[in-house]
Amino acid sequence: MSKNMNLITAPLRKANPITVLILGICSSLAVTAKLKPAIVMALSVTVVTALSNLVISLLRKGIPSKIRIIVQLIVVATLVILVDQFLKAFMYDVSKQLSVFVGLIITNCIVMGRLEAFAMSHSPWESFLDGVGNGLGYGAILVIVAFIRELFGSGTLFGYQVIPQGLYDFGYMNNGLMILPPMALIIIGIIIWLQKPEEEK
Amino acid sequence: MSDRYIFRYIIILVLIVSVLLSGAALLLKPYQDMNKKNEQRINILKAAGITGVDNKNAEQLFKQHCTAQHYGELPYYIIDDKITVIPMHGNGLWGPIWGYIGLSEDHQTVVGAVFDHKSETPGLGAEITTDGFQSQFSGKKMKGYSVDVDAIAGATRTSDGVKTMIKNTLEAYKPYLEGNE
Repeated sequence: MSKNMNLITAPLRKANPITVLILGICSSLAVTAKLKPAIVMALSVTVVTALSNLVISLLRKGIPSKIRIIVQLIVVATLVILVDQFLKAFMYDVSKQLSVFVGLIITNCIVMGRLEAFAMSHSPWESFLDGVGNGLGYGAILVIVAFIRELFGSGTLFGYQVIPQGLYDFGYMNNGLMILPPMALIIIGIIIWLQKPEEEK
Repeated sequence: MSDRYIFRYIIILVLIVSVLLSGAALLLKPYQDMNKKNEQRINILKAAGITGVDNKNAEQLFKQHCTAQHYGELPYYIIDDKITVIPMHGNGLWGPIWGYIGLSEDHQTVVGAVFDHKSETPGLGAEITTDGFQSQFSGKKMKGYSVDVDAIAGATRTSDGVKTMIKNTLEAYKPYLEGNE
């Protein structure tokens, strides 16, 4: 039991896919300007990693090893298309904001990385938990970065104004750099820097 | 594992996947089309100053207020027998931009405008979709087929694109706009 719990909790901090394994950086730069798309993206990636881990783990004994990467890609691509179609049908405004990045989950290294490193050699249930854990670990960083970027870049959270008008009257200004992708890279760098000493203990 | 096994494996896998995907596409298509249609309706109503429309009541409100018409080849919408809403298409910095502009009965004042884009920079050019930018247009007098508004800082090319789009569109509609004066 504690071993299974560890599959979920480890990727949140000490084996975090973004800050420790440095995977999935590209999408975390693109979708973190606002909180809402960041959360939907995090959930989408969690669903895709968990389900693709589960499916590949179920198939793992039958997959011919010569074409295993192709099989993995087919499974991931199918799941991503399903998620994309689902968002377009039921969360249209969010799917517009995420635009191409849902489709690009296919190329998110976290998904393929977990399939190769974990699902191919573990039982379905463990693989599923590992997928959930890694999706959440990815999501946690996305939410932290999006929180900082939306707060200082637009003065809002979830689209609601949180920085009072009074401050703007005193000359406070939203930081335009926060909205641009480079700032996400800098924030992720700072998170890695803060996390590093803790890891080395 | 033999080559025969590999071929059989991949063919069966692909067949299963294609059935799954076409099934999902067929099932979800009506919802997706509905969303696209409603988005268009919401934008047209918004350009005419009718806000607070959402996915649920868009169809009903649209039918209640709006009639689609044509002037020659050019489509336009009349809202509440007064306001003319004209669809626009143009170019931003990275890709196409489009929108709707609502004109008052005498075609001299802008009632409202909405814009959307395919791939403008988030936080810069993409700001043309925000209320902050769009609300500037409400109540502005037209000056020879252009409207004076503040450009978005840092997004000159997109702002110019919006300006050109409005000018080109309204010039194309010139016969209609002047004919009714």
